[in-house]
Amino acid sequence: MSDVHLPAMRGGRPEGPGGAEHSHKPAYAHLFWWFMFANGGGLAALALPVHILVQGILGPLGIVLVVDQHRDTWISILGNPIVKLYLLVLIALSFFHFAHRLRYLLVDFGVPAAKSTPAQVIFYGGAVVVTLVTVWILLTTVPISLG
Amino acid sequence: MPGGWWLRKRHYFLYVVREFTALPMALWLLWLLYDIKSAGSAGFQPQRSIGFVVFSAVCLVFAMYHSYTFLKLAGVIIHLKVMDRTVPPRVIVLTMFGLWALASIVIGAVLIGFAR
Repeated sequence: MSDVHLPAMRGGRPEGPGGAEHSHKPAYAHLFWWFMFANGGGLAALALPVHILVQGILGPLGIVLVVDQHRDTWISILGNPIVKLYLLVLIALSFFHFAHRLRYLLVDFGVPAAKSTPAQVIFYGGAVVVTLVTVWILLTTVPISLG
Repeated sequence: MPGGWWLRKRHYFLYVVREFTALPMALWLLWLLYDIKSAGSAGFQPQRSIGFVVFSAVCLVFAMYHSYTFLKLAGVIIHLKVMDRTVPPRVIVLTMFGLWALASIVIGAVLIGFAR
């Protein structure tokens, strides 16, 4: 069990039939997932609590007016391309972070299958599916408006 | 590893809670996605039920814990050098918490300021 999953410089690959020499090539795939994990975690840490507080508690309780409590203001802000891009990055990166954390949580709970390739396909593939669904919803729900 | 290892030490328990924060945050973001999709339909009804508020309050506790633990780790993960001098981890952590406050103010201002 480790507190921090750091990117590996995965060496140890046998070069040649003897297999005696080891290279230390950067594991690019691992670095990619680490990038998605770290940035997703950072973005969720910086942005998500205020979304939950304002849109999930203060708005529904009527303590403050919030954009998503009225359809016209919600549509108006969702049409902004910067808002669309922000929501896509927030949701997509967060889900890559969640996929990584939940997979390692299962490993820590003694589910070795969570280390397998099918498990990786399910978890990270799930994040890809959520990303594609987010793109589809953002592009089809409210047209892009620059006004 | 025995089944209840994470209940044996407070540190282990908090580690598991930290990793588990991903689940409620994911559920809340799925709701946000549903809310965005709902905006496209004429019968859009804003979420005002007390059940949703309770759900959000629970998610908020986990999201805050994620923010606290993740931003605190920045001092361990990020290594910066300015003018050949290493930036102390404490300064990095304080900067990250400052960024969190700034981001919260900006996002909150947009969510509330553009409401009519």
